[in-house]
Amino acid sequence: MSPTRLTDRRVLGALVALATAVAVAGCKKTENPPADTATPAVAPAPDTTKPAAAAAPAINDAQIAHIAVTANSVDSAAGMLAEKKGASKAVKDFGKTMVTDHSGVNKQAVALATKLNVTPEDNDTSKQLKSGGDANVAKLQGLTGKAFDKAYIDNEVAYHQAVLDALDKTLIPNAQNADLKALLEKVRPAVVAHLDMAKKLQSSQTT
Amino acid sequence: MLSQVRYAAIASVFALGGVAACTRPTPRAHTVTIKNFAFDPAELTIARGDTVVWSNTDIVPHSSTARNAAWDSNAIGANATWRDVPGKAPGRYEYYCVFHPTMKGTIVVR
Repeated sequence: MSPTRLTDRRVLGALVALATAVAVAGCKKTENPPADTATPAVAPAPDTTKPAAAAAPAINDAQIAHIAVTANSVDSAAGMLAEKKGASKAVKDFGKTMVTDHSGVNKQAVALATKLNVTPEDNDTSKQLKSGGDANVAKLQGLTGKAFDKAYIDNEVAYHQAVLDALDKTLIPNAQNADLKALLEKVRPAVVAHLDMAKKLQSSQTT
Repeated sequence: MLSQVRYAAIASVFALGGVAACTRPTPRAHTVTIKNFAFDPAELTIARGDTVVWSNTDIVPHSSTARNAAWDSNAIGANATWRDVPGKAPGRYEYYCVFHPTMKGTIVVR
């Protein structure tokens, strides 16, 4: 196996781990705040003793575009449910904002893919994100009232933390096309803001 | 002599008008750029009657919503602008984005 292929496999493995962590975050019991527990699972401490050789392109732009679109769609689906089933106005409003923002980002991602004549390419990470999102929605469907709000917000904290880590460690560094990289960099502040908002809601639920 | 007095009176009226015009500056237009989920500048000082344009350079909608209900832009779309004359009375006006309440700004009207 060539060194490049080895690197590819490692980074793809990390992405799959990310998707799995996101899926698990959506399914785990909610009594433990996921903000603390999800981060280590999603983002293992980097080995600073090794050079940053993993910065070599590991996934292609078509795959990155597909991951971005899938991540947005997954959170839109959960947001739609929160808009409908959320017990508190704050959770309903947050869900509505997630739908608006992630739909808006997806519109731009699809427009960019069309402009670049790139067909987003399905991949293992996208599949894991989708199945994790579906599992989360299925779980939320069975909850009501405060239990729904808590489970939804806990997952939103873990999910946005995982997406932020993926943007910083995998998606932005590996994007080759300048427009795609610029779009991902524009998405990043949205993810940070969503994470902050979710954390604030999470702390207001526990106090 | 009489015509000289008249001339002086007319000149005085014009002079007073000029002074009045100088003490009431022309309203200015200011811009608050919405970028990376923040208002820039976060605090803006304006004169009464000045216009403020909020320019959203982000890829999602935002709003400029005064906490005291003095103004509300509703959704300002991606790459869109919204203008208002928020300085109707002197004071300090706190505002935020209704969709992303972590985004906060202030307009100070002199």
